[in-house]
Formats: sequence, C-alpha cells, structure tokens
Amino acid sequence: MSVLDQIYAKAKANPQKVAFPEAENEKMMAAAYQAGKEGYILPILVGDKEKILALAAERGYDAGVFTVVDIHEEGYLSELVAKYTALPDARLKEKALRRRMQDPLYYAMVMQAVEEADVTFAGIDNTTGDVLLAGQYIIGLQEGLSTVSSIGLCDIPGFEGSEGSLLAIGDSAVCTNPNPNQLADIAIAACNTVQSLLDWEPRCALVCYSTLGSGQGELIDKVVEAVKIAQEKRPDLAIDGEFQFDAAINPAVAAKKVKRESKVAGRANVVIWPDLNVGNVGVKLIQQFGHADAYGPMLQGFKKVVCDCSRGAPVSEIVGNIVISAVRAAGMKK
Amino acid sequence: MDRKELEQQVIELVAMAYGKDVAEVNLDTSFADDLGGASIQMVGLVSEIENELDVLVQLQVAAACKTVAELVDKVEEQL
Repeated sequence: MSVLDQIYAKAKANPQKVAFPEAENEKMMAAAYQAGKEGYILPILVGDKEKILALAAERGYDAGVFTVVDIHEEGYLSELVAKYTALPDARLKEKALRRRMQDPLYYAMVMQAVEEADVTFAGIDNTTGDVLLAGQYIIGLQEGLSTVSSIGLCDIPGFEGSEGSLLAIGDSAVCTNPNPNQLADIAIAACNTVQSLLDWEPRCALVCYSTLGSGQGELIDKVVEAVKIAQEKRPDLAIDGEFQFDAAINPAVAAKKVKRESKVAGRANVVIWPDLNVGNVGVKLIQQFGHADAYGPMLQGFKKVVCDCSRGAPVSEIVGNIVISAVRAAGMKK
Repeated sequence: MDRKELEQQVIELVAMAYGKDVAEVNLDTSFADDLGGASIQMVGLVSEIENELDVLVQLQVAAACKTVAELVDKVEEQL
C-alpha cells in the first residue's frame, strides 16, 4: 500500500470537517464533492448559499454531500463571533471581526478556530499570501513558534531510509532565508507535522555543507545556532545537526562522520534545508534524478491545519491535498 | 483625536505588540533595527490598531513603514 493509499484509508476511517471558502470555484467544488462523496471528508461550503446551491445543481452535484453555510445569515454569524471573541487568544474584537468575516476565507477560519470545522482549504481564488495572512490573524501560530513554513513528503523509489522510501523535507516553499530562530521553528513544526500526519517518531536533521564542525563560515553558523535553539526549545524532540545531507540519512556515512551519540545522524526521517535556494534545488533534484513523488507543500506552524493549494493543480491533486490536510487535522487532535 | 494623542496611542500599541516597555518606544523607533520582530508581531499590531482605533491599515502597508512615525502617518490617513 503506497503512502498516499495509507493516508486515504486513515481519512476514510475518521472523516474531518473541511471548510471551503472558495466553494463557487469550479475546481474547488469538484474536489470538495469528490472527497466528500468518497467519504474522506465532510465538506462545508462557505459563501453565498443561494449561489453555491445553484452552481452545485448546474454542475450536476448531489447537494446532500455538502453542508452549505451562508455567510450572510445573521444568527450563525453572531454565534461564531461570540464564540471567537470569547477565545483567550482572539486577536480581533467584534467590530473588526465582523468586517473581516464578510470575506468567506476569514469566515471559514473563524469556524475552524471555534471548532465548527477542522480544516480550512483555499488557495485557488486567494493568493498564498492571503491564506497565510488570514491564518495568522484568525488561527494564530503554535505555542512557542513565530514562523509559518512548509514541508513536503517525498516517496523516492529505491531509497532505503529509516522510513522506507519516504523522507520529509522542509522548507522548500515559504521561508526564503530563515534566521536561526526561524530555522529552529521550521524544524520544530516539521516534527509536529510528521507526528500528526504519519504517526512517525520524528528524527530531524538540520543540514548544510558541514558535519559537526567539518566546515566553517556564516552559512554554517546559522545552522549550528538553529540546532541549539531548537534543542533548547523542545528537548523532547530528536533534532540534531549540523550535518551534511549524506550524514543525515545514510548510516554508513554517519558512522564515519559523526563521532558522538546522535539519535538522528544516519537515520533522519525529516531533513531541514538551510534556506529556500537549497530547498528548491533539493526538491527538484529528488524529483528529477530520484524520480520521486513529492506531496505538498503542507503549511505548518499554525495552531490548526491551514491549507493552501496550487492554483494550477488538477482536481485529483487538490483532492489529495484535501485528504492529507484532513488526516493532519485528525492527528493534531490526539 | 489630535496628532499627539494618536502618536501616544500608536506607541502604546507598538509596545504591547512587540512586548516592550512604553518608555522604550518613540516615534523614531525603527521596526527593523530596534524591534526586530517576526511578521506575526506586525499582524498583532495591525489587529490592535483595528480593534482600538477602528482603522484598517493593510498589513503590507504597515510592514513597509520603517519607523513608528511612518505608521502613525498611515493610521492618520485612514482616520
């Protein structure tokens, strides 16, 4: 069974409520319908109810698959506002909140914040920036983190790592040139993500062109500092470095280069790049030479699962990302 | 609200959002050099301005301000 098949099975066993603030969009509605009809999620379409139902009928969908929430309905809006503003960490007060909730993206996130939905899924009509911003306003970041980032999951044929052919890598999409604090945040969030999505015990390596002092320079100093910060912040997690990539994932290389105890060296299942240049090139190398399937990027760092999908993605890929988000959300509840 | 009152309110909101003492923040305080916070703190600041002054300053507008004085200008434009 492939990793994606396993994730689909997990989703079906415990379907989560996914809010779609771009419900009128044809691709988004198709993906929500497919994922809902197959039983992977419970889709909630958020927007103008009349318009959504008319579009669903026109497109030949059974409206019974969806729950449709009308953002103009005052009763439910008031209920959400009251619940949200009562949260201890609510950023916005009633007037400001109502203003923002005229936008379905913010409305859906408020539903998620007050546990009327488990995931907000957007990114076709809204830009990545819009989604990240709304997530920071309404959902907020995980305790102790101040950085939003992403990870991807690679299934690499022929790779025999500590999780078989799978390797989680990050950040290849969001943070351009993270400072040591941000890099530490990315590593911690990545550990949380793989725990919730895959039930892995994370072993996270921060990589660069040096293994434990074999090289020197500011590019390395940043990684060394990040390892220190991450270990101080989360001593319960196995986060280690600085390692070269091979010393991180290959036990034979680690045995030669890492001359101290490490739970991570040679057995890393999560690899954190030093910056986006490395991250982008790294993921392309894995795809082009390793012929890997890469799933993601999955946004991380938020208190709850916020998902941004690629505008150009086909419906099948959007469905895959919806299902992954739902499984992450179920995992975060544990 | 006159300019002086507005300046004081914004200084207080900046201090709160960045976890500083009000005495440490003035109109010349630089967001990058003196406060050095992450974007999440700027989100908090913009939210507080919206809550307390009922003014919506877009995050990208606020983030482009180099000093507290520039932010006060942007808030004043929206009042």
